[in-house]
Amino acid sequence: MTEQSDEGLTIREVRLGATREEGGTREVSYVIGGERDLPFSGDGAGRPLVALEICDDPRFWPPVVRDYVGDLANDTAEWARAAERTYGADLVRLNFTSTKQRGFDAFDAIAATTEEVLAATARPLIVEGSNEPELDSEVFRRCGEAGEGERLLLGTAEADRYRSVAAAALAYGHAVIAQSPIDVNLAKQLNILLRETGVPQDRIVIDPYAGALGYGFEYSYSVMERIRLAALSGDADLAMPMICAPTDTLSVREVREAAPADQEAMAVAWEFYTAYAAIVAGASIVCVRHPLTVERLKAALEG
Amino acid sequence: MPTVTFLPGYRKATVPEGATLLDAARAAGLSMNVVCGGEGKCGKCQVYVKDGTVSFDREKYRRFFSDEEIARGACLACQATVAGDVQVEVPAGSLIEEQKILVEVPGMKEIPLNPTVRKYEVRLEPPSLEDTTPDLARLLEGVERQSGPPPNRVYAPLGVLCYLPQVLRRSGWHVTATVALVPGGYRLSSVDEGDTTGRLYGVAVDLGTTTIVAYLWSLVDGRILATASNYNRQISCGEDILSRVNFSRRSGLTRLQQLAAESINEALTTAADAAGIDREEIFEVMIAGNTVMTHLLLGIDPGYMIAEPYVPVVRRMLSTAAGRIGIAAHPNAGVYTFPAVSNFIGGDIIADILATGMAEREEATLMVDIGTNFEAVLGNSDWMLSCAGAAGPALEGGEVLFGMRANPGAIERVRIDPDTLAPSFSTINGVRPRGICGSGLIDLLAELFRACVIDRTGGINLELDHPRVRKGQYYPEFVVAWKEETSIGKDIVITENDIKNLIMSKAAIHAACMTLLDAAGLAPTDIGRVCFSGAFGNYLNKENAVTIGLIPETPPERVGNIGNGAITGANIALVDRRRRKELDGLARRITYIELNADPSFMDRYTSSCFLPHTDFALFPHVQQTLEACRARQGVRSWQA
Amino acid sequence: MAMKALDIYKHLPKTNCKKCGYPTCLAFAMKLAVGKAEVEACPDLDPDTKSLLGGVTRPPVRLVTIGAGERSIAVGEEFVLFRHEKTFYHPPGIMVQVSDTWPEDEVRSVVETVKETVVQRVGQDLVVNGVAVKYESNRPERFAATVALAGGGSTLPLVLIASDPAAFEAGLAVAGHYRPLVHAATEENWEGLAALTKRYGCPLAVRAAGPAELASLAGKCAEAGTPDLVLDPAPSSLAGFIATATEIRRSAIGRTEPALGYPLYLDAGAFGKTDAALAAGILKYAGIIVTPPLASASREAALTLRQNIYTDPQKPIQVTPGIYPINEPGPDAPILLTVNFSLTYFTLLGYLEASRIPCYLFIADTEGLSVLTAVAGGKLTETLVADSLKKFGVADLVDHRLLVIPGYAAPLSGKIEDATGWKVLVGPRDAADLPGYLEKEWKA
Repeated sequence: MTEQSDEGLTIREVRLGATREEGGTREVSYVIGGERDLPFSGDGAGRPLVALEICDDPRFWPPVVRDYVGDLANDTAEWARAAERTYGADLVRLNFTSTKQRGFDAFDAIAATTEEVLAATARPLIVEGSNEPELDSEVFRRCGEAGEGERLLLGTAEADRYRSVAAAALAYGHAVIAQSPIDVNLAKQLNILLRETGVPQDRIVIDPYAGALGYGFEYSYSVMERIRLAALSGDADLAMPMICAPTDTLSVREVREAAPADQEAMAVAWEFYTAYAAIVAGASIVCVRHPLTVERLKAALEG
Repeated sequence: MPTVTFLPGYRKATVPEGATLLDAARAAGLSMNVVCGGEGKCGKCQVYVKDGTVSFDREKYRRFFSDEEIARGACLACQATVAGDVQVEVPAGSLIEEQKILVEVPGMKEIPLNPTVRKYEVRLEPPSLEDTTPDLARLLEGVERQSGPPPNRVYAPLGVLCYLPQVLRRSGWHVTATVALVPGGYRLSSVDEGDTTGRLYGVAVDLGTTTIVAYLWSLVDGRILATASNYNRQISCGEDILSRVNFSRRSGLTRLQQLAAESINEALTTAADAAGIDREEIFEVMIAGNTVMTHLLLGIDPGYMIAEPYVPVVRRMLSTAAGRIGIAAHPNAGVYTFPAVSNFIGGDIIADILATGMAEREEATLMVDIGTNFEAVLGNSDWMLSCAGAAGPALEGGEVLFGMRANPGAIERVRIDPDTLAPSFSTINGVRPRGICGSGLIDLLAELFRACVIDRTGGINLELDHPRVRKGQYYPEFVVAWKEETSIGKDIVITENDIKNLIMSKAAIHAACMTLLDAAGLAPTDIGRVCFSGAFGNYLNKENAVTIGLIPETPPERVGNIGNGAITGANIALVDRRRRKELDGLARRITYIELNADPSFMDRYTSSCFLPHTDFALFPHVQQTLEACRARQGVRSWQA
Repeated sequence: MAMKALDIYKHLPKTNCKKCGYPTCLAFAMKLAVGKAEVEACPDLDPDTKSLLGGVTRPPVRLVTIGAGERSIAVGEEFVLFRHEKTFYHPPGIMVQVSDTWPEDEVRSVVETVKETVVQRVGQDLVVNGVAVKYESNRPERFAATVALAGGGSTLPLVLIASDPAAFEAGLAVAGHYRPLVHAATEENWEGLAALTKRYGCPLAVRAAGPAELASLAGKCAEAGTPDLVLDPAPSSLAGFIATATEIRRSAIGRTEPALGYPLYLDAGAFGKTDAALAAGILKYAGIIVTPPLASASREAALTLRQNIYTDPQKPIQVTPGIYPINEPGPDAPILLTVNFSLTYFTLLGYLEASRIPCYLFIADTEGLSVLTAVAGGKLTETLVADSLKKFGVADLVDHRLLVIPGYAAPLSGKIEDATGWKVLVGPRDAADLPGYLEKEWKA
């Protein structure tokens, strides 16, 4: 059902993670959404969440991060633990880069890694499954099953491959990241598709796709603003919290070609400006890959 | 000053006291029949005073009226003077031009027969030593006596003068003069022996890129005598507009000009033969064609139209003599081409507009002409906006695996049982199916959508466990007809790719309509009516067209189809010179919106690439129906 | 209130005379409605109608120029609250703050950096704009000397930050003729400062907490003869700045409070989180941002963000179509088809350069549309690919006939093969996966 009102809408609240009382094992769960106005204006939401993104196959990860985390990159669970305890991330986003290998069929490892990371962390978990329609169904089923009851945020659904993610989310009680390519209409369309598939609207988080700063980020920024404005003026199909994961940020020329001494600073600055701008545009969760960016963002969001 | 109101029609004029009703009639734009020049001698300008009084010496002119007419308040307009506000009825016989034979133009009723060409039968006194008036002057004076134009306004081509003396003398000074109204005056088109006034013909032509359609009219009594259609012979130089223009650039312009004329001549000859008339007695040809076709017919270089900044040579209405461009009518016959708005909105679209009558109405009409390219016009009597774009060939059956044109064997209507998913369909001519044409595709899209076989993006739900829903070789597909049912020996299917192509086509058209509405600041509910033009609209299920979001949501009773608007418009302009005269002004006031230059067009397009649209608020009725429909089927859509 | 095209049209002569430069009165009305034409262009309107329609187009935020000469900046003259509604026109001036208590060398070094550092991106030279000199020495002559050290306004635009009238007198005696921004007039000192800036014809910043107080103060200063104002809402937190700035811009755009129709001022150093403040100021309506000296990473990121946000959203930056060699490709290098949407190009370029795989990026003219929209909108077609292959002479560069197309263009693969005679390989949809794909799949 579509819900509209002249007064404007409140952004839907989406719960991430489940505590023991809620049927999971997390020490905390988060509720995102709930805004009634533009970011930093008026009352409403709590502080945006900062997620540190890690992966299960570091060959596909930016060198500047691999250099910083060192051996952690080879132990996904430890990396996850450090993300929360050492680097201070509000939550972890686990990216199954291993599925990018040709002929991938290690589905058992997907389940196992999901379980290990859940055991190593105490906070809600975002899981980024496969990016390959042929693998989707099995990958999402396995990580969905492994995290049953934990209210994972499962990504990502796209307009031409949303059924597998949706099925896993429905079967095991997770929330879904709905990603569309930088377009307010396409974002809305995907939300409608998910709704008509049976995914409850309080389990959808919009990812409008974020380009890197200097490489089209302005499109993402404006689409986020448009999504939020449409939602606040009554469009229930866009009234979901947003997540911003500018995954290309650390691959841009400015970071790659920076003098070795500046590279880390450049990586963090690039991630920081992108993520902070996304928050100003309305993102409830920002995902970064460099541990130092987490700290910078959290400091900026205090007070 | 007193106001004089003329009935019927309620035309009004305000004139000083003491002015004649004739003065008032002229001021009101009426042409009274005053053979005597307004001296009270001919008695032709009878009118009836209905309300108010005039000053008129009824006894003096008693001889012109019957008792009954006197009783109704008859008087002569030229002799009655105005004393105060007055209402006057003008009988049809007292008007010159509007001898309204109302003509049934197919697709449009009640057009007054008012052509620009007329015949005058004259019997002249032979010249003598006492009267040495030259032949031409003698003829034209005779024409003027028959209520024809004044001699000094008639231009006589040399060709006519060369045979004039012989014709006059051979006929014993009894001839018929054919006089055409041309810009700036009149032209003496022909002089023939004896009385030929019963034979005056005109032809309206739709000069299409693919086909030519011609209607042969008697301009004497406003009857359609024959119709004909044939392919455009230019097809041998290229299927589409662009390849024709390219051909013309390779010094093929002369050839294309000849082929255009030959194609028209073929239709004209077929029609003339069917009606049993002589083509030489066709004195008027009215041609509606797109801008490129018009350029090619007239031998004007269209080369600058196909690249930025897309400039045509000319867009106003043009007239020339048939003989100059090789049209097989009387050589002096006037050939008229419709004006254009831009190179994308051509004379065919102006003809469409004429056919809809939208330029004469207060309510806003949305007219859509759909082919591989589409044109859309929105407006009323005060303003008009237009745009054009590429819809892609999907709606005509192109780029669709089993798509075809509306020929025999094409599935033209489809229904799908929402419970069993069994389709029922009808084909053109009722034969076994061999493909699906545009109207069938739109039905399919709407029905598959209602039955939840496809989602709103057109994606086929492969999780449905049904033999008609299958993975397909390249794309998921839905079987419309099993091979045993068809005449081609294989399953007729619609693939997900077909569906997406269709959605893109419908989205381009819908987005164009929304661009026009937004430019005018109107909502879909402000549209008074929607008119489809072109063959496409003929078999279209209006409700399904709205369900898939081809056009903005409009109640079905407001959606109409004007058929071949180009030929209808050409017919109207042929028989009614008043409407023809307004065409240039109409074309000039149409504002053209370049969709590629409109930054929000892509946005509208993307939001239209959804069934029926991303913004349901634009389709409240469709939304309601669908929800009811889905509620009935409930479970199947997903968890089955 | 913005008028709709048809409402404006009612007031036009409807003669379609074209004297305004548009083909019809309605076309002119449509341009007026979106603020893309001036009502003056119509010679046949009476003054009343002009003023009725003219109100539609006057900029709601005043354009204020700071500095003189080449590096001077103009800020304000904005029309919208969100860039997607039209565009943002005048990027905020970023001014690096120095103190008159600093050693001369330190000041000189900051000024040099501002003057000399240029970041080049996408054909534009991005610079930090000017210097803000803060009066902390309590010695007006010291302030004047530091102002002089900062170029006195003749090379870089300046902001003079003080509260003591004597300091302003001294500073303006040096820089007064180069339109420095004077910061700031408050409820207490505005009369003197307004008179002083009026004398020099300088822009004046007014500072007060809250929109109502700012409007009142700005109104008084404008009346006193200083028309070029900048508003400092004196925020107590960064979130507070964003909220107030939004409120002020909204009032200005809505023309509800003309006295708020001025550019805004932000002190990015006030909250101990300069990067966040710089970003917030760029995103949310600051016209002048004063910042502590920046490290190069922050500077480059901030300038890039400013360039992004002040890019016209209705004109995507397009890459020139053509064939681009990457990593010194040879005749066996893959040909990678893509579109001329700048975002697509830069993303691909990033991954490909990083991968060190020699290849050719083959960019077709999709009028700046992304792959997805270009395929959907029929801009990327087999004909375009075939024509572009010919036009760019691609066949002469390589000795194979294999074309890698983007994953989103997969529906076109058959048609492209037919139209070009090249064998088509469907690549991944995600640029990040392209290097991996090439490593595994490519052999010419």
